[in-house]
Amino acid sequence: MSLLEGLRFIRGDSVLHRLDPRVKFLMTMVIFALSIIFFDLIPLLLVFILQIPLILIGRISKEWLKTLKGAAFLALIIFATNLLSFYFFQGMHLTGAIVEYSLTLTLRFLALITSFSLFFLTTSPDKLSLALEKARVPYEFNFAFITAIRFVPVLAEEAQTIMDAQRSRGLELDKGGFLSRVRKYIPILLPLIVNSIRRSLELAEAMESRAFGATKNRTNLYELKMAKSDYIVLFISIGVLIIAVYAHFFLPPFPKVMNGILFV
Amino acid sequence: MGRVSVESLSYSYPNTNDFALRDVNFNIEEGEFILLTGPSGCGKTTFCRCLNGLIPQFYNGEMKGDIRIDGLSTREHPTYELAKHVGLIFQNPDNQIFSLTVEKDIAFGLENIGEPKPKMVSEIDWAMNQVGITPLRERGTHELSGGEKQRLTIASVLAMHPGVIVMDEPTAFLDPVGAEKIFNVLKALNEEHNITIILIEHRMDLAVKYCSRIIVFNEGSVVNDGKPREIFTSDETRLIGVGIPRMVELGRRLRQTGYPIGIPLDSAEAYANLTPYLIKQEAPKPRGEIEDQNTYEEEYSSSPLLQLTDVSYSYSDAVEALKGVSLSIKRGEYIAIMGENGAGKTTLVKHFNGLLRPKNGAVVLDGEDVSTKSVASMARKVGLVFQNPDDQLFAEDVEEEISFALRNFGYKEDVIKERVNWALNLLDLERYRKSSPFILSGGERKRVALASILAWNPELLVLDEPTVGQDHGQKERLKHFLMQLRTQGKTVVIVTHDVEFVAESQPHIFLMAQGKVIADGPTKRIMTDKKSLEDSSVSPPEVTKLFSKLTPFGFPPDVVDVDEAIELLTKKMRGNKK
Repeated sequence: MSLLEGLRFIRGDSVLHRLDPRVKFLMTMVIFALSIIFFDLIPLLLVFILQIPLILIGRISKEWLKTLKGAAFLALIIFATNLLSFYFFQGMHLTGAIVEYSLTLTLRFLALITSFSLFFLTTSPDKLSLALEKARVPYEFNFAFITAIRFVPVLAEEAQTIMDAQRSRGLELDKGGFLSRVRKYIPILLPLIVNSIRRSLELAEAMESRAFGATKNRTNLYELKMAKSDYIVLFISIGVLIIAVYAHFFLPPFPKVMNGILFV
Repeated sequence: MGRVSVESLSYSYPNTNDFALRDVNFNIEEGEFILLTGPSGCGKTTFCRCLNGLIPQFYNGEMKGDIRIDGLSTREHPTYELAKHVGLIFQNPDNQIFSLTVEKDIAFGLENIGEPKPKMVSEIDWAMNQVGITPLRERGTHELSGGEKQRLTIASVLAMHPGVIVMDEPTAFLDPVGAEKIFNVLKALNEEHNITIILIEHRMDLAVKYCSRIIVFNEGSVVNDGKPREIFTSDETRLIGVGIPRMVELGRRLRQTGYPIGIPLDSAEAYANLTPYLIKQEAPKPRGEIEDQNTYEEEYSSSPLLQLTDVSYSYSDAVEALKGVSLSIKRGEYIAIMGENGAGKTTLVKHFNGLLRPKNGAVVLDGEDVSTKSVASMARKVGLVFQNPDDQLFAEDVEEEISFALRNFGYKEDVIKERVNWALNLLDLERYRKSSPFILSGGERKRVALASILAWNPELLVLDEPTVGQDHGQKERLKHFLMQLRTQGKTVVIVTHDVEFVAESQPHIFLMAQGKVIADGPTKRIMTDKKSLEDSSVSPPEVTKLFSKLTPFGFPPDVVDVDEAIELLTKKMRGNKK
């Protein structure tokens, strides 16, 4: 779960937080593109390392490290499966090229995770929804999105309470075979579902009472406005993308670092 | 702005023939502060839904008669239009906060009606200022305390400038000090902006001094309507079991014994009314602490059933929910854990049956350290009844619900049958044996939850907020039930905000604040310990407030319930006459 933890917005204030979500999305997409187009260790290492200053600017290094920790197992699997499959397919020789290639793929995964963290950790759902609104996504969809996020902590708390209440009545979730364990979740799921239905009715009542749907020309308290810094980041991002594409197609390929090394 | 007229209003929900409201008639003028009351299920909440057109627009069903808000019929004007005239606030704040930050949530209604941004900002500023949450502007809504959430819901409807604000039991989950803050916000809105307030409330002692008029519902009809003093002394109100404020009760009963001190609504008024009848004299020696301590120790000299030593707990690294709590509960004791919202009361009782394990310190149950015991094995001795029955009811019928725990504990079928019958009888649920728990009323569901715990006869019974959302009659029944359990030697712990309930049943009190037990002792001593009460946001019962002022007339300060108060007062006044 700690992998998802790193995608949860934590309120803060930094240049990165204040960036227009559309620009930040473009920036993330550029990093995404960079990680995809290169197949070599050096450029991917660069992509990965160059994101670290951004993480520091956004003051999200703690959450980012948590994400990396959560991703470590998956990264290990990526590395191992690539390494082993090439090892077996290429006649049981562990060459430097294989190690380098496996490392590259692993690094690509970590670079992608980092770019997502950069975006989601520093973009409040409110701003995200605003960006969606600008992209002409219907308001009902937006509202559902925000409401879902709003009720995650509420539902988590409720699920915990229900679990506590049933454990207090002698329910032991971790005992018994698979089927009986699944059945033991009924006393937890049922109240959760019934409460959710009740809650949705109450929510609908409260929405009506707060004039939901009164006018088609709904306004928004928050507005998106491009500032100078947004334009700067926008141009840098596009610039980097152009340079990267040029480098990929027109410059000689990056040297392989571990070529010629034979491990086994 | 702020006028309501109700003309022969009747309503029945879809798929039923019963009328939830029957021929309701009254007018409310601008600037009134109305208290709506009546036993659970009397139609108060249904009536509120009529006020902004949720009935009949959102709910179908059959509505007769008319309601007009500022002359607008709720049949002809859609709810979103009425939102500018009447702001409806529901019981559970969590289910009416839609946004992630405070200011955005206040903006929700304004955005819906398409207000331009500058107008929104000024309305938000104004609304936050009115309810005193300006510093919370950019806070995340999930981080707010219960009281802050409740104030946010007021600000959110206030921003639309309604002439009428309706609140359905806003203080059910709040500590007394938090509750009073909400009432004061409503009072200020009423007095400074002439906003009509309609309040549903069971906590009469707190609410009565704010309202100018009380409307009593019973079985869908208005049975009484008038000024507080008339309402509370009239037989109609008394007969249907609406809670009577303790000071009103004091005045009424003193009048019956020949001392017409009038009908005071709160302790300050009672004091003013009483002084002409009393003569100053030297205070008697306070009923000393040592004496209390002794009787207390003698009464419960057996070994403790549950002992906590220096227990600490934290949910995350940042916040410590419990900071070194030590307490011991002896067999047969009756205990109340009181204190402000967020003081750690629920966290504490979750240690009693092992749901939470202390980060530091030890829990000893019945002489055994429980650190290696499972929740299930501890639960056999400690029955924990949660606040909201809906967090545990799931079974097909009530019988099944009650036998759930018994099956988990591995009782034999014939024992289960016997225990279920016993529990059904004990809580007067026999006729619902085959009913689904989901179709029962709130009070009945609470009783089923209680029965499902009592069924296995745990030695220690812990009830978390048993009086929340309960009307006067239900509270009385609960009180008698707890007394009955006590006489059978059961150890009972309640976690509660309800000082009046505590005053009348007089448990041993543990007072908590900020993760610590800051005082403990018999009700009388704790309720006169001003400093500790203040630190834990508990206000003493009205009777105690009155007697703390009466010491110059020779009364002891530590009087907590009405019966004792009346006895002391009549005795003294009789003496003065002679």
